Amino acid sequence: MKGKTIGLVLGAAVAFGLPAGAAQAEALKIGIIESLSGPQTSTGRLFAAAAKFVVDEINKNGGFNGAPIEVIEYDNAGGTTGAADKFKQAVADGVHIVLQGASSAIAGQITEDVRKHNIRNPGKEVMFINLGAEALELTGDKCHFYHFRFTTTAPMRVNALVNAMKKAGELGTRVYSINQNYSWGRDMEEATKAAAKVGGYEVVATVLHEVNKIQDFSPYVAKIKEANPDTVVTGNWSNDLLLLMKAAGDAGLKVRFATTFLDQVGNIANAGNTALGHYVAHPYNIEADNSDFPEAYKAATGHYPVYIEPQTVNAVRTLGQALKTVDFGGGDIKVSEIAKALEKASLDTPMGKITVRAEDHQAVIPVVVSKVIENPKYPVDGTKYGFGVVEIIPGPDAIYPVQDACKMERPA
Amino acid sequence: MLARIALIAGLLIVLIVVPPFLGIGWQNALTNMLIASLFAMAFNLLVGQAGLLSFGHAAFFGVGAFATLHLMGAIEDRIIAFPTPLLPLAGAVAGILVGAFAGYFATMRSGVYFALVTLAIAELFHSLAPHWDGLFGGEAGLSSMRMPWAGLTFGSPLQVYYLALGWTVVSIFLLWAYTRTAFGRLTLALRDNEQRVRFMGYNAHTTKVIIFSISAMFSGIAGALLAVSNETANYSLFSTHVSAQVVLHTFVGGSTVFFGPAIGASIFTLFAFYISEVTRTWLLYQGLIFVLVMLYAPQGIGGLVQTHIQHWSKISWPELGRAYAVAAAVAVCLTSALVFVVESFAIIFSPEYAAVRGRLDGAWPPFKLFGLEWEVFSPFTWIIPLGLLAVGLLLLPTARRMLRETWNHILERAEAARIAKSEIQLAGAVES
Amino acid sequence: MEFLIISTLNGVTYGLLLFMVSAGLTLIFGMMGVLNFAHASFYMLGAYIAYTVATTINFWLGLLVAPILVGLLGIFVERNLLRRVHAYGHAHELLLTFGLAFIFEELIKLFYGDFPVNYSMPDYLRFPAFTIFGTDYPFYRVFIGLVAVGMFVFLYLLLSHTRAGLVVRAAERLPVMAESLGHNVPLVFMGVFGTGAAFAGLAGAVAGAFFPTNPNMAIELGVIVFVVVVVGGLGSLEGSLAASLLIGLFSSFAVGLDWSLAGLLSWVGLGDWARSVGGLFTLTLSSISGTVPFLLMLIVLLVRPAGLMGERN
Repeated sequence: MKGKTIGLVLGAAVAFGLPAGAAQAEALKIGIIESLSGPQTSTGRLFAAAAKFVVDEINKNGGFNGAPIEVIEYDNAGGTTGAADKFKQAVADGVHIVLQGASSAIAGQITEDVRKHNIRNPGKEVMFINLGAEALELTGDKCHFYHFRFTTTAPMRVNALVNAMKKAGELGTRVYSINQNYSWGRDMEEATKAAAKVGGYEVVATVLHEVNKIQDFSPYVAKIKEANPDTVVTGNWSNDLLLLMKAAGDAGLKVRFATTFLDQVGNIANAGNTALGHYVAHPYNIEADNSDFPEAYKAATGHYPVYIEPQTVNAVRTLGQALKTVDFGGGDIKVSEIAKALEKASLDTPMGKITVRAEDHQAVIPVVVSKVIENPKYPVDGTKYGFGVVEIIPGPDAIYPVQDACKMERPA
Repeated sequence: MLARIALIAGLLIVLIVVPPFLGIGWQNALTNMLIASLFAMAFNLLVGQAGLLSFGHAAFFGVGAFATLHLMGAIEDRIIAFPTPLLPLAGAVAGILVGAFAGYFATMRSGVYFALVTLAIAELFHSLAPHWDGLFGGEAGLSSMRMPWAGLTFGSPLQVYYLALGWTVVSIFLLWAYTRTAFGRLTLALRDNEQRVRFMGYNAHTTKVIIFSISAMFSGIAGALLAVSNETANYSLFSTHVSAQVVLHTFVGGSTVFFGPAIGASIFTLFAFYISEVTRTWLLYQGLIFVLVMLYAPQGIGGLVQTHIQHWSKISWPELGRAYAVAAAVAVCLTSALVFVVESFAIIFSPEYAAVRGRLDGAWPPFKLFGLEWEVFSPFTWIIPLGLLAVGLLLLPTARRMLRETWNHILERAEAARIAKSEIQLAGAVES
Repeated sequence: MEFLIISTLNGVTYGLLLFMVSAGLTLIFGMMGVLNFAHASFYMLGAYIAYTVATTINFWLGLLVAPILVGLLGIFVERNLLRRVHAYGHAHELLLTFGLAFIFEELIKLFYGDFPVNYSMPDYLRFPAFTIFGTDYPFYRVFIGLVAVGMFVFLYLLLSHTRAGLVVRAAERLPVMAESLGHNVPLVFMGVFGTGAAFAGLAGAVAGAFFPTNPNMAIELGVIVFVVVVVGGLGSLEGSLAASLLIGLFSSFAVGLDWSLAGLLSWVGLGDWARSVGGLFTLTLSSISGTVPFLLMLIVLLVRPAGLMGERN
């Protein structure tokens, strides 16, 4: 009996010991360098939560390369300096893939850092998956092989809005453009002007204002009133959008707002019924999702997927699809292979199919145009309002042309 | 004197020898520490030595960074050839030029008005920079790459660290040499009594402009080092946060002691590097430390250290040791109580916890802290911080009394020695 | 014409809001020589306290409780903190308030999160006061203006027509003299600080329901309030009112003006050249409307530091 036990124990030791010694499987390390403190915290944390949701999913199905995927969170404190510091820390920690989305400025910093790191450390490349930074230059003159953008851009959103609203007869012929004075806002202004011919409207005025500094939008509303537009197109977010709409509501301004970030958490709660009837173009609308994703997400995180979470989930799921096609046999991970695989990856989602464009690594994703309605299936922010689907535009129809400025160098 | 040189030499040896064995993360943190120290020392030239409190020093730091990036860009595009290690010179030149211009106007005023002018200048840069694409790269900022020179690639954080170390050591040495010159003495005189300086025949305004420019120059070098390290800069370098950080560092370290600001900057930078990984409330701790230092140790940590060195021979170590032991116990109790409460609140009031509560329909699940689980509404949870607080507060009067008595004794002994020495001198004078 | 009237109304109400916050600051500085960096934090705290009370009990109670609590906090700060560092000089007091502003902001972030909270006025207050040229003018803006005017009248009467006000003015002029006459000057200082803080808290409670309530409120408003106080004259209540209105009106009008240096130069035929140079020349007034107040503060500080109505120092 005793001998048998010893034999069993020895056998078990051998059985566990041998494989453990043989296969030190290299775990894939994902670094989320996000704004986890500072003014963009709420958005940053959503990106992190959504990314982790999918990584948990992948790990439940066996992980990658024989080990669970490790996720390390870094707080860039909402600034580019913090992002630069944390990127260096991430490299020190052996991170293979960096995720970020809450700011185009920070994304610009990270993508440049990644590019320089890859030049200096051939064979030890790092990849950057951009979950939410929409400035065109990231797939323009700042494009490089190891950056992938899985969100929309200004032309995608504006074209979607213009087409859907025109079809619904709610666009009108006079459009007013008001945006924040930085890369994103300027992209939006350009896109609005560029779509004028197709949309059959005249851009009556364009305004660029300071980012997140204006407390009082009533002078801007007065200007809008003066120009007498049918629709106001704006890429504003956070306070800039909220205050603009509040001021418009207070002044009794009868105009349609076509926005890109109306679905940001807290906007509908703050705007109330002044938001009714306004439009938003975004990558996902839960009202059109009949899969089990909303409930699964709610079970894991406590709330239905909102704002930028669905696009993040899709991005990381697409990465998961790419990972399925690469096999390192438990050995060293080569990020260049993952990047090549991601170029060819695709994902079927309830909104449509997602693919990746090899020329500039922009994901071709569907764009949903929605309108704020009362008593939807999924009310938002604890109010009785939500987003009703107006139109879902498939990826290939929504995508913008490759920019001339992108000269991507491909690895051998 | 010899002890001081030995100490500095020892520190330098550690700074040179140790970093290759540390990870990249630590090397980067040390580089940041050097940059912050240099910035604080440059700032202190104006504040501690000339007595001019500036709330907008980020302006010169930022200007130095942008100038360096322009130079880096020119080197990268092969417009000019320039040795990479000398890049911070661009920061120095930009700093001194902008500093002279800004300083000319700022030093027209003094006191609070001077502080407000510097604040306004920094804010002007901060609000103009995002609109000015050519000079400041707009909201995204400027970005470039370090080019190799003389066989060194400057690709690794370690090489950047040594570059920063070299520049920091040289700059601090120059700043120290400055204090030994006649002009350095004049700076101190300006702080103590400006009117008298004027009566002595100096043009106070010109003097102040020169001091301001020198301070701005070294701030520009610090900014340049940041630009070299991060290879990027954007308008957020002009924000009040950056100006605020240098003020915090300088005063916590002690503005009356030469190395005080460097001490403060080093402690806070390393503190931030380590703590920010662990908790998101570290800014609160930073503010609390600053306020406590302002209230109870206005000379800062450097000042405390210097007081000890000054009265070294008069210190009765057993007595001081006892007093410090009790004070340390009090500090540990109160700090632990505070950290416990703050961290608990941070968890309880966080959106993640709210999400967990939402999933459990409003129940209050236990939270994890320091590796243990705590019930939110259980007295056992809160008895710990309350107990620590009580013990700390009970011992606090004793600690204060002991510290006060010990230092009174030390100062009495110092005074007695001084009187004895002067009596000997008097006796000697009388005799002769 | 419509733009003129609406912008004037907006400018006046925004200016009155700035006045509510800066009145306390200018009084405190005039009296004690302390530029209270934490003053805008009192504004923020007032908004958050009012938010907490409004969402749990009642909106009007929040408007009442917030100034009281913030005033008490101000008294505590003055008595236990500022007084302790008084001996080390003004720079130290300035730094202390600066550290306090830091701490208040972090505490708010700790308890309420680092994002805006939904503090808004009750629905029955959300109606237009009047309609002008087809645009509704919200009643609540007028309400803010009324509260500000009420505050000014109260302060003015208090300072000029009451005995307490007399003592305050005396203590501001010659504190040692006032003390030797038997008045409790430290108590006066405490009272002024507390009152200043209470008014900032009231401003926060009232305005926070209209403007966004978030942890950045203090920084966002704080710097502008400094500009107001400097331009109006440190220590002068009337100057503070004038400067607030000036800056409020300017911010309101600047938005609609697309003037630029290039436009100015086109008067002398150099317009195209300026536009080709770009950079500083093509910046429009409307896009840098946030920058101009600092330029104004700089000019005032350099040319006439006493401000519009302050006393020559």
